[in-house]
Amino acid sequence: MRKMKAVHLTMALMLGAFSLTACGSNNGSTQGTNAPEGTATAGPSAEASAQPSAKPVTLTFLIPNTEDVTPYNLIFKEFEAKTGNKVEVQALPGGDYDNMLKTRFSTGDFPDVFLMQPGTKQYVKLRADETLYEWSGEAGVWDNVIDTIVDFQKNADGKAYGVPFGKTGMMGVFYNKDVFEKSGVAAPTNYANMIEIAKKLKGDGVTPFYEGVKDGWPTQVFYLTGWVSQVDQEIGDEGVQKLNVNQLKLSDIASLKDLFVKSKEIKDLGLLQKNTLSGTFDELQNELGEGKVAMAFMLDGILPQLEKKFGKDFVTNKIGFFPFPTATDTGTAMITPPNQLMVPSKAKNLDAAKELVKFMISKESVNTFYQSQPGIPVFKDATSELYPMQQTVKGYIDEGKSKVNIQNRLTASFLDFGKTLQNFHITGDVDTAIKEMDANYVKDGKAKRLEGFE
Amino acid sequence: MERSKYPLYFSFPALFVFLLFFITPTLIGIYYSFTDWNINADAIKFIGLENYKELFNEPRLKQAFINTLIFAAAVTLLQNAVGLALALLLNEKLKLRNLLRMIFFMPYVIAPLVIGYIFRAIYHPEHGIVNQFFGLLGMDFMVQDWLNDPRFALFTVIMTDIWRVAGFSMVVYLAGLQFIPKDLTESASIDGANYWTRFKHVVFPLLAPAFTVNVLLAMIGSMKVFEIVMVLTEGGPGYTTEVFYTYIRNTFSSGEMGYATAINMLLFALVTLVGVPVLMAMKKREVEM
Repeated sequence: MRKMKAVHLTMALMLGAFSLTACGSNNGSTQGTNAPEGTATAGPSAEASAQPSAKPVTLTFLIPNTEDVTPYNLIFKEFEAKTGNKVEVQALPGGDYDNMLKTRFSTGDFPDVFLMQPGTKQYVKLRADETLYEWSGEAGVWDNVIDTIVDFQKNADGKAYGVPFGKTGMMGVFYNKDVFEKSGVAAPTNYANMIEIAKKLKGDGVTPFYEGVKDGWPTQVFYLTGWVSQVDQEIGDEGVQKLNVNQLKLSDIASLKDLFVKSKEIKDLGLLQKNTLSGTFDELQNELGEGKVAMAFMLDGILPQLEKKFGKDFVTNKIGFFPFPTATDTGTAMITPPNQLMVPSKAKNLDAAKELVKFMISKESVNTFYQSQPGIPVFKDATSELYPMQQTVKGYIDEGKSKVNIQNRLTASFLDFGKTLQNFHITGDVDTAIKEMDANYVKDGKAKRLEGFE
Repeated sequence: MERSKYPLYFSFPALFVFLLFFITPTLIGIYYSFTDWNINADAIKFIGLENYKELFNEPRLKQAFINTLIFAAAVTLLQNAVGLALALLLNEKLKLRNLLRMIFFMPYVIAPLVIGYIFRAIYHPEHGIVNQFFGLLGMDFMVQDWLNDPRFALFTVIMTDIWRVAGFSMVVYLAGLQFIPKDLTESASIDGANYWTRFKHVVFPLLAPAFTVNVLLAMIGSMKVFEIVMVLTEGGPGYTTEVFYTYIRNTFSSGEMGYATAINMLLFALVTLVGVPVLMAMKKREVEM
């Protein structure tokens, strides 16, 4: 009896041990799937082997749910009619998109095509040379893309693992024009003026700003837009290069710390909605659209969402935009390069996936996209009707008062930035928040084995 | 009556399977916790205790450690209290006894992810039925942002998990109650013992094996909590509901496999350190019928 008890006890402990190491063992197999195969780079030779599949296949297309899928569905419908291949769209949560994608990559669960944020740092994140199809030598891909955008897609070796798709985006302050009009205020001329406007709006019974703290990612926009107007002025391009090789600490940048102070000031002045911690991107759209909220630091992904909820006329006529203002002027417009279409080199239907990408960047498809999502085009012969707020940004670009998002210029990421900001909303401790942001940035650089971080 | 005995080698096939699929991965996991295994690096290097040194300096892990212990203690205690109460109640002759047993057990068979999504709606600050219920009763002071207020978030997750798992404890206790010979409680009753005395001196001691199983499973399960926290709060707001596994998931997804495995090992050690003494202590008080 005693012996049997001992056996039972051992078995129970073994069961516990197994469940605790399940993750570790799973990821053990992961490494095998990530092993280089030597077939990742293809270039022109891959083109020759790219044949439409004789038998119709179903392709999976991954997209973050912060993107509007309407234009993609329209394009895929055309693709299906033309090739017989089907495209299944999987919209994953925007805040977790990168992590979910990396998890799928590490478990060998590759999609056929996926949309990715722009920037060559994605190449490091996804170990592009091992996992992604290389497009730089691919015929019929680059001819129509604007030259500066082509350059942005390539890494230092001149390799492109993504194909640009979409429009030049923007981040900044989106506001409800009706609400501004009722209070007799206009777009601010500088930062102090913006706070005065917010106070006036609050006095008129409107919530001046909305923060989607629960979702995490929307809170980052304040700092990213503030970066181009404020931090870039302090550190310049040289400073950004130093950040890239860990020769400058985020916590040593006074103007970045000032952004945290400013954010706290906005909260302390009661210029945010009541329950900031439960704020979501979805509620933000509703409140801004209904005029309960006047302004939101946001990306242009909100426009198609607002259009869906309140109509095209509303977005065209009632939504305004201004950049993060500086102490002395209206600031610098923050722009984002177009997203990238990527194809894993181990995609189940590689040839059909390549065919889909080429179809997506054809003139017809691109115009279908811009019809549904007007924006500053990245293709030479594309036509797009711009929303007034996009015209505003184009004006800034033409004047040379625009800058690419810092996240697209750095190779390491502001790891867990949304979480840091959530915590900052709870504690209000500026020093802790910036110290954590700095520590996480270095940690990410180290994890990515970047030069200067190890 | 003499119990039939079986030779020990009958368990060898099972032990072999455990060795191959359970012990071996564990040992491999232990090895990787001493390496710098990272998805962004080509080679894996042995780095000794570096990962462990690093994780002891991680404030976020400290928060996860505290939250995990609070969660495990609260869930183990309340899951057993509620489970036992339900089992005692549903061991009585009630008309709807079987239906009620099924209803209380049902949450346990629903996936925690599904429960998480349902409860996210239930706890919604404006449209959720919890706040609407309190609002209808005029108890406005109870209307709270249950999942997003740092004061309540962990408590809310704990209560949701207890709702989910109490039915399981109930079933184990019910099974234990079925094994208690009726003549023991009946003779105590004839001797004039009231319900509480019968429970304290007859039922409770004989339920000891069920206690051991329930407490141990609840403790191990709650220390490994993941899905319910992930769906309800994602460890937030901030880090207020961060537990070991949400932190481990985070480090795994940033590609730091060796470091994440080290955290896993720390949790393994913690479960063992807490679990084994509890198991020993509870085994001691078991009585054989």
